[in-house]
Amino acid sequence: MLERKVRKAFQVLVLQRGRNPGVKGWEMKRSLGREFRKILEVLSEDVASMGLEVFEVKGVDGSDDSSRFLLRFKEPPTVSEAETSGIRIDDLAVLAATIAFINSKQARVARREVEQFLREKFPRWRVDYSLDRYVKRGYLELDERSMLHIGWRTHAEVDEKTLMTMILSRSQEAAKK
Amino acid sequence: MEQEKLQEILRVIELCRDVESSSANPFDVDIKEKIAILKQRLPEWKFLDELLVDSEAMLELAQIVKLQDEWLKHRASSLYIDPLLIQLKVKLLSKESLSEAFIKSWHPVAQVDQISPRGLEKAFVYWRDLTPMSERFKAQFGTYGTRPGSVDYSELISLGIFTSEQFEETLSELYEELLQKSNGEWVDYRQFLGDKSFEDKVKRAYLLAFLISEGRALLKTEPLSGKIWTMAVTEKAKGAPKSVAISITGES
Repeated sequence: MLERKVRKAFQVLVLQRGRNPGVKGWEMKRSLGREFRKILEVLSEDVASMGLEVFEVKGVDGSDDSSRFLLRFKEPPTVSEAETSGIRIDDLAVLAATIAFINSKQARVARREVEQFLREKFPRWRVDYSLDRYVKRGYLELDERSMLHIGWRTHAEVDEKTLMTMILSRSQEAAKK
Repeated sequence: MEQEKLQEILRVIELCRDVESSSANPFDVDIKEKIAILKQRLPEWKFLDELLVDSEAMLELAQIVKLQDEWLKHRASSLYIDPLLIQLKVKLLSKESLSEAFIKSWHPVAQVDQISPRGLEKAFVYWRDLTPMSERFKAQFGTYGTRPGSVDYSELISLGIFTSEQFEETLSELYEELLQKSNGEWVDYRQFLGDKSFEDKVKRAYLLAFLISEGRALLKTEPLSGKIWTMAVTEKAKGAPKSVAISITGES
């Protein structure tokens, strides 16, 4: 019985339904029943051997129903793995700088301010293109007042504390050099 | 006086909106002071518009309180770092180092993009029911028309626009007119066509093209200025004929 539910949980999580990956808490409840968290815990242990984990992104109201559950890499990929997946280094650099800048500004910054900041390091076309793309993909959020926030996908995929620490420690290394 | 009081409330709204649409510190807005202003003015409002402005100011202040709450939570988290420090650090780092920092803190989502049997069925039904291109717009536009092409003299006669006699007569009249106007000099082509109506211009241009093709008139173009000149000749022109495309518009 449990094995069947765990298998079902894996299938629900891994198959993309809508535009965004992951499954909302209320959907999980509907598919697996009230005890879905326990089933997800078992699944998370099972997929650990494959380098994956079940991760929860808390919703706005913090309730079970609004949370989003997804499968993600347990450990970050190596640089060469990321490079071979076709992701451009420049694009990732823009995203890293943007996340760090937004977090340093109380998690909300006017888009034009972010653009100004990024244009000191990246060409204008790449800044515009990358910001639009990351908003579309959920890494960043743009509200009706043109303020940029950290998007749900960044909360899901990026360990923001590690990122901030890496940026700070790396620049110290760079400064030493 | 009433206006001044209202202006005061509008300034509160403006201040709140400025803070909301920038990364300014929300604690720059003194909520207590602003609430006191609203409280003091509330009994003085008589009209619905004034009350609406008051409630809007209250709403904006509530938004600022929400921002203050978020600001405190973020400040208390370990994610807060002095923005100037971050700007400096990011400037110092190379793009490679920045992307490496990102990759080392990145846990990509694992998912499978697939088409479900239901999706496949929907796609099949859509394709099966899709009207072929050749049929799709028939209802709206009828059958496809012919592409733009040229109309020759015989077609114009068959369409009833000219009779053979009329055509020769009109052509001769135009030749006489050009002969008179040019009198051995170049005349402006567009001026000669006139500005009576678009239809008249097209008709004269069409007839003039006949005269030129027959060698009874000459045409000269100045590519730089865009000017076109024409002249009637008494003796049939010799030499290799050239084609010139001239657009006729409705403008005078």
